[in-house]
Amino acid sequence: MSSGGSMAQDLRLVLPQLIVLLTAMLALVAEMLRWRRAGLTTVAVGLGAATVVSAGRLAVHATAFSGTFRVDLLNHWSVLILCPTAVLCCLLARQELRGTPREGTVYSLLCFGTLGALVLAGSGDMMLLVLGLLMTSLSGFALAAYAKTEAGTEGALKYFIYGTVTTAILIFGLSYWVGITGSTLLSALGQPNLPAPLLAFGFVALLTGLGYAASLFPFHFWTPDTLEGAPVSVAAYLSVVPKIGAFFGLAQVCRSLPSTAVDWPLVLALLAVASMTFGNVLALRQTNVVRLLAYSTVTQAGYFLLPLVGVRGAMALPALVVFAAAYAAMNTGAFAIVLHTGRTLADFKRLGTTRIFTGLAMTVFLFSLVGIPPLAGFTGKLLLFESAMAAGYTWLAVVAVLNSALALAVYSRVIVAMYFAAPGGPAAPPAPAWEIRTVVGACLLATLGLTLAAQFFF
Amino acid sequence: MPHIPLLSVSIFLPLLGALVLLVLRTQGRVLAFALGIGTTALTVVATALIWMRGVPGGFAQVEELRWIPSLGAAYRVGVDGISLPLVLLTALLFLVAMIYSAKVTDQPGSFVALLLLLETACLGSFLALDLLLFYVFFELTLVGMYFIIAGWGHEGSKKAALTFFIYTLVGSLFLLLAFLALYLNAAPHTFDMRVLLAHPPLTGTAAALTFWGLFLAFAIKTPLFPFHTWLPAAHTEAPTAGSVILAGVMLKLGGYGFIRFSLQMTPDAFRQFAPYVMGLALFSALYGALAALGQTDIKRLVAYTSVNHMGYMVFGVGAAALTTTGSAFGLDGAVLQMVSHGIVTSCLFLLVGALQDRTKTREMDQLGGLAQAYPLLSGLFMLAAFASLGLPALAHFPAEFQIFLGGYEVAPVMTALLLLGLLITTALYLRAIQRVFLGEAPTMALPPADLSGRELWAIVPLIILIVGLGLYPEALLRVIHATQQVLGHE
Repeated sequence: MSSGGSMAQDLRLVLPQLIVLLTAMLALVAEMLRWRRAGLTTVAVGLGAATVVSAGRLAVHATAFSGTFRVDLLNHWSVLILCPTAVLCCLLARQELRGTPREGTVYSLLCFGTLGALVLAGSGDMMLLVLGLLMTSLSGFALAAYAKTEAGTEGALKYFIYGTVTTAILIFGLSYWVGITGSTLLSALGQPNLPAPLLAFGFVALLTGLGYAASLFPFHFWTPDTLEGAPVSVAAYLSVVPKIGAFFGLAQVCRSLPSTAVDWPLVLALLAVASMTFGNVLALRQTNVVRLLAYSTVTQAGYFLLPLVGVRGAMALPALVVFAAAYAAMNTGAFAIVLHTGRTLADFKRLGTTRIFTGLAMTVFLFSLVGIPPLAGFTGKLLLFESAMAAGYTWLAVVAVLNSALALAVYSRVIVAMYFAAPGGPAAPPAPAWEIRTVVGACLLATLGLTLAAQFFF
Repeated sequence: MPHIPLLSVSIFLPLLGALVLLVLRTQGRVLAFALGIGTTALTVVATALIWMRGVPGGFAQVEELRWIPSLGAAYRVGVDGISLPLVLLTALLFLVAMIYSAKVTDQPGSFVALLLLLETACLGSFLALDLLLFYVFFELTLVGMYFIIAGWGHEGSKKAALTFFIYTLVGSLFLLLAFLALYLNAAPHTFDMRVLLAHPPLTGTAAALTFWGLFLAFAIKTPLFPFHTWLPAAHTEAPTAGSVILAGVMLKLGGYGFIRFSLQMTPDAFRQFAPYVMGLALFSALYGALAALGQTDIKRLVAYTSVNHMGYMVFGVGAAALTTTGSAFGLDGAVLQMVSHGIVTSCLFLLVGALQDRTKTREMDQLGGLAQAYPLLSGLFMLAAFASLGLPALAHFPAEFQIFLGGYEVAPVMTALLLLGLLITTALYLRAIQRVFLGEAPTMALPPADLSGRELWAIVPLIILIVGLGLYPEALLRVIHATQQVLGHE
């Protein structure tokens, strides 16, 4: 448990996270001064800077603050994926909430929430897990309630109640881990002869807390209502940033947790099956595209568990990272188009013929969510299947594969509406604003290009 | 010329054409089809140059680009005696389908772009030497075909398209798992098909499971009974060009997969399970023939004969799997059967399409005596039908003859039963010809025009090939056989 080096060096190691923190505070100041554009600019520049810093030191592998914070693959890529995603969500919020009161707080809250996710992703310590989870969910509660409508309040309330209860369970469970290991460090979980029941209890409690943030079945109850009630830009953010933070945090735990005492990979595998299947089956019945995408995030949460089952395999962490990047791109892109087009399936009627490029982009995002090659979602899922099979969980890969076929039936409902609906229906939506064009363009580029760029993740 | 990467050019030329169309955003019919026909014609030239450059036996004209070396994946393409005939067939059928479709007025720009995308996917599948690359192209064929059936098909096309997509997606997802099993068991891990072909990595239970994973994927694609249920609806609801590509090219992806992956990468498992596969193929052939016999819709009839013919083809591959030292008649015949079925069935679908355009119905009960109104159309249909039922000197005969010969060596009883299929198809075609073209003409008013120039440009090349392949199969057999020798099937 020796300290990694001097304080200055520790601070240097968490520089991207410090930049995000600073950005969030500056954005708050800008809001106090009512400089709305400045708030957005601050966020774009600040999170961009954090991204650049992280990109410049992908090869660095270290720990900071006595091993409590891990500067590793997951940490670097969490910055590289989540910061740009947060900027895109801010752009969407700009388009959606421009001129509404407290517009600037949204940018600031998005930054704070993202910081929480980054802390989760780099956790080497149970206290940082708690801190990260609280930061993402507290800002999430405020964001979800932004609209002040009845649906928005109801959604935010659900999010809040489930969030506080599950986080409390997580803290309670972690207290047992601290008790049996005598340390808050995750690496202490590797000690021999820890009592298995308590280890298992802590793990289930941890899954409850992180599973809620990740919309993992059966902790997903809030997801459809909250996403439906929240502004679309916030829904995009809530379905991507906290989720990736939570799974990266869970990966940090799983890396340190021996599977000899408790067969936690099996637990994760069963949860993955339940989450994938449940999300798909319920998504099949939705006529509201936001709810459809909400259940689809429950499905995708199941997929996120596949690499964790064999987390010590050589390909597991790169697989998790690639899938997270793909998921961020395709999901944010899909929400951006929902923001532009409308929330119901009826709004999507004939979109493919009235707005050719918007329709094409949505098709690409949906096919990517199914996992059709050569799109990003395929490459992500391929690596997930590979890591599950390499871990000896071929049956899990088979179930995941069957769910991909089911997912096609889910997403094709939107595609059928866009291209093959009877003539008539809503008039063509206006040309998308520049913010939406930017977001869709960036997500499209990532969704199309990730497969070719996959070699840089290894 | 020696430095031109002809394989990649052939694969990506159509895609380039599709992109040009997308950028132009034209829905003008003349420009779209001019571009489409021009691109597919150039692709035919490119594939012909591949043939001329020569395919000695093993994989030739290999082109490689690095991509994720740490995963053992890369862009690799190459051609051998099994893929070359299918590549030539693909290029030709896309040109023919494009010419035939030139009358499409509903969003022709999108239609041509999708067909071109589909051509890239099909050529890429046959030429890929990397499991991942193959899979990418294999799946892309689904996307292209889904939109073609759903967007330009007949009455119930949306449901048929989705059924087709989901069925074959399930199959190809199991294919992905099988590929991962091959990858994980190869040492060092690689997706390079040449390595996996030279040293099949799997043994025992893993090989058996992988074999059945591959089998499921290709049995759905081919299709074999009982995985064929998507086929009649998809074929019938698709626009004519879609039916041509579906029957002519995409079913061959199944056959190609049986040979390239099941037979060559899990050979021992295939030998072990060959009797079951052959039994299923036999049943499929007879079932397809009987089901065709029961149809009243002439397009469905042709669709079901595909099930019959693909049954023969898989039977040939199964016979080859059982043959350890003997001759390679079964495999030679199977490859030749894929080519001849592609030509003959495409020709039949084009003729049925021309028929439907004129009579507005596909129900044989409402037709009759058309030979008087359309002598040329009727004559060509009869010729193609005779080819389809296996008349000597026409395309199917040499292929089926070799399959029966190869099958007789290893499984004489099953082969004897298989011959029943020939009798049934003969009966059903004679009955169809009698009901549609002979007898009294229907009372409805029929447009007087026989086959137009556009239709003839599409159909006549196929007729020439039907006769040519029947009389001189050696042209292709030489290439096919050279590869069998390399594979150790002499």
